[in-house]
Amino acid sequence: MAAPPLAGIRVADFTWVWAGPYCTLQLGYMGAEVIRVETRNRLCVTRHMTPMADGKAGPNRSGYFNQYNQNKKSVSINLQSAEGRAVAQRLALASDVVTNNFAAGVMERLGLGYEELRKAKPDIIMITMSGFGETGPLREYVAYGPAQVPLSGLSALTGYKGGPPLHAGFSYGDPNGGIHGAFAVLAALYHRARTGEGQYIDLSQWETSVAMVAEGVVEYQMTGQEPERMGNRDHWMAPHGLFRCKDMAEKIAGRSIDMWVSIAVANDDQWRRLAAAIGHPQLADDARFATLQARKHNEDELEAIITQWTSQRFAREAEQALQRAGVPAAIASTNKDLFEDPHLNQRGFFVEKEHPEVGVRKHLGPPWRMSRTPSGVERAAPILGQDTDDVLTTVLGYTAAEVAKLREAGALT
Amino acid sequence: MSGPFASLKVVEVGELTSAPYAAKLFADLGADVVKIERPGAGDRARHRGPYPKNEPHPEKSGLFLYLNANKLGVTLDIFKPEGMELLERLAADADVLIHNMSPPDMDRAGLDFERFSRRNPRLVMTSITPYGLTGPYRDRLAEELTIWSQGGLTYLNGAGPDTREIPPLKVFGQQAGYQGGIHAAVATAGALMAQWRDGEGQHIDVSVYEVCASQLELTYVYWPYAQRVASRLGAKPVQPLEALECRDGLIFLCCVEDHQWKAFVELMGHPAWTDEELFRGRGRRTANWDAARLFVQEWLNEQTVQDLYHKAQAKRIPFAPVSTMGDLLNSDHLKARGFFVEIDHPQAGAYKYPGPPFKMSRTPWQLRRPAPALGQHNREIFGGRLKLSDAEMAQLKHKGVI
Repeated sequence: MAAPPLAGIRVADFTWVWAGPYCTLQLGYMGAEVIRVETRNRLCVTRHMTPMADGKAGPNRSGYFNQYNQNKKSVSINLQSAEGRAVAQRLALASDVVTNNFAAGVMERLGLGYEELRKAKPDIIMITMSGFGETGPLREYVAYGPAQVPLSGLSALTGYKGGPPLHAGFSYGDPNGGIHGAFAVLAALYHRARTGEGQYIDLSQWETSVAMVAEGVVEYQMTGQEPERMGNRDHWMAPHGLFRCKDMAEKIAGRSIDMWVSIAVANDDQWRRLAAAIGHPQLADDARFATLQARKHNEDELEAIITQWTSQRFAREAEQALQRAGVPAAIASTNKDLFEDPHLNQRGFFVEKEHPEVGVRKHLGPPWRMSRTPSGVERAAPILGQDTDDVLTTVLGYTAAEVAKLREAGALT
Repeated sequence: MSGPFASLKVVEVGELTSAPYAAKLFADLGADVVKIERPGAGDRARHRGPYPKNEPHPEKSGLFLYLNANKLGVTLDIFKPEGMELLERLAADADVLIHNMSPPDMDRAGLDFERFSRRNPRLVMTSITPYGLTGPYRDRLAEELTIWSQGGLTYLNGAGPDTREIPPLKVFGQQAGYQGGIHAAVATAGALMAQWRDGEGQHIDVSVYEVCASQLELTYVYWPYAQRVASRLGAKPVQPLEALECRDGLIFLCCVEDHQWKAFVELMGHPAWTDEELFRGRGRRTANWDAARLFVQEWLNEQTVQDLYHKAQAKRIPFAPVSTMGDLLNSDHLKARGFFVEIDHPQAGAYKYPGPPFKMSRTPWQLRRPAPALGQHNREIFGGRLKLSDAEMAQLKHKGVI
């Protein structure tokens, strides 16, 4: 049996919230030993966030934390205390990779700066995934994922026609920064494997977000105009939108749930198939709709005709009828749809591991499968400080008595 | 200094965004990437724009030029047996084959991992498909909009409460494609670590549907943890977390942690309303945000965006402006970091593109060449690397294979 891709790689993980934890989640999926440094004095924001298992609050009950910290170990170290910082430093130096997503300068102030670590361990790899990067006039500015969406230009390009800039609907800057960070760390590990050299990686979440807006940046230069917001429409495809279906069959917590189907027609052949599927085969050759140009010109009318058909159906029915006809279509899934989706369940996307406090919950695993090397989720997210004693004694070589003394001194809170 | 992947050979069979972005990430860090396009039309991204002066031209698509710089480009019809044979020969010598051909097309062309692996056991083959290589939706058709929607991301976005008839909203651009690409690149780089260790390759099955669902933040878990459907129509988990109007434009307000809210209250001059029981603490402030917003808006009416942005950041409040494309290109900060990189393309001209998404101290990101014209490197690759004679190449061209 082959070893996991990152077997033997240890990560001292000083990240928190979402961007950094999403980075180290990937490394954990591939078998790295990820040790998250936490403190009771300042809990990770996501340990506070809803939903809490069964509505009962507690730092180990957050679905958000438990999703993005699977596989990881948790040690609680008080970085405000000198003894705590010494433990953290020892952990960093026992690791191959040190990760953080603090603003510029914070790791240095904690005695965990790259230059200092490198003196003791020249091949160490360190990544800082800050909001603005380590250099430049705004380097000390702070950024949260939700604010990265407007900052990156994505909001300016997203919105209904004629309406204001809107959002992505989630803190896109966070997972996007984190996943790019994971790639950077892997590139550095690959380089280290070949040459023995470590290095420092400076990742700006702002920049990783702007990298996702490249077409907008280039369009502005190529045309001299800011791209216009156009809802769900597309210059090169029509129809291209989300169409109202019947509400979900059951009410959830007494509320009816609006449901939608997305349809994207990439060429005239698909348009003919769509016209037939919605019971209007004669529209295929109708001058108003026969070509992309005509469909773009009469898009309001086109959308109204499609809505007449979708609004009388459940979203799943519309999706299946259109897919059968050879038209790209999919429901706008809710979390419940994903949870119950037969495809995802059959593919083994979900992970069900016993968590010490919330039991078994159906979490998401990696969005890929490797044919040869083991990967995925070995254990549920840790409860706060679950591995403190274990890591200090087995990884860092402290004796039980030393651990007790550190705890008494308040270094392990 | 050369990139960390300078020794790596990658073959890309990519269309539009996902596989091209994955291969770009390796190319920008030094890998030798040979991109394979269909003879005639080439990559779909060539036909999407944006284009200079809005005039479509297959060599001038901004999306294509961004995603394919640093690559060598050949044309090859892998649906023809001679074409597939040439792809096999290219892959026989490669470390990675990365593609986003759909499963039905893979079947039709015979793009089969076992076959490639027999010839080159080191090969890491990465298949990026909408739904993955297994499961009941394997053969479904998908586009950017439909897969982003199926992954649960449009349902969360769009107009606010009381607007049930306004559709959920797709975010700008090719985000499912980009995310499919970067997630595939991560898995591929992991497989390269294993390949380095034991010399063996493997097949990676990336589902863009699952990639999208992986980004759902706290919304997916609302079902297994609370049996609630998360919706764009529902309340936000914390407030303020939205864009509001200043005197001269929008600013995004963001107070996720309590100390940020306290600092914002101070910045507003500690108005009396903030001491009301109604707004004290994260939970009550969030629940009663509709009321609080009115007070905040009154204050914002007197503010300007840039001034408030810098004043807030001086207090470590993570507010942000709503940047336009012009703002990004003119940003002193991004300029100081050398983020945008000018790429001069012989046909399209010189434009600034996003450059390194992260800076590596020892193995930097490098721009080596602009995106290839369709079939630009046919002679170099088929003649130079695969040692086809001029006559053989002429014959393949005649048959429409290259």
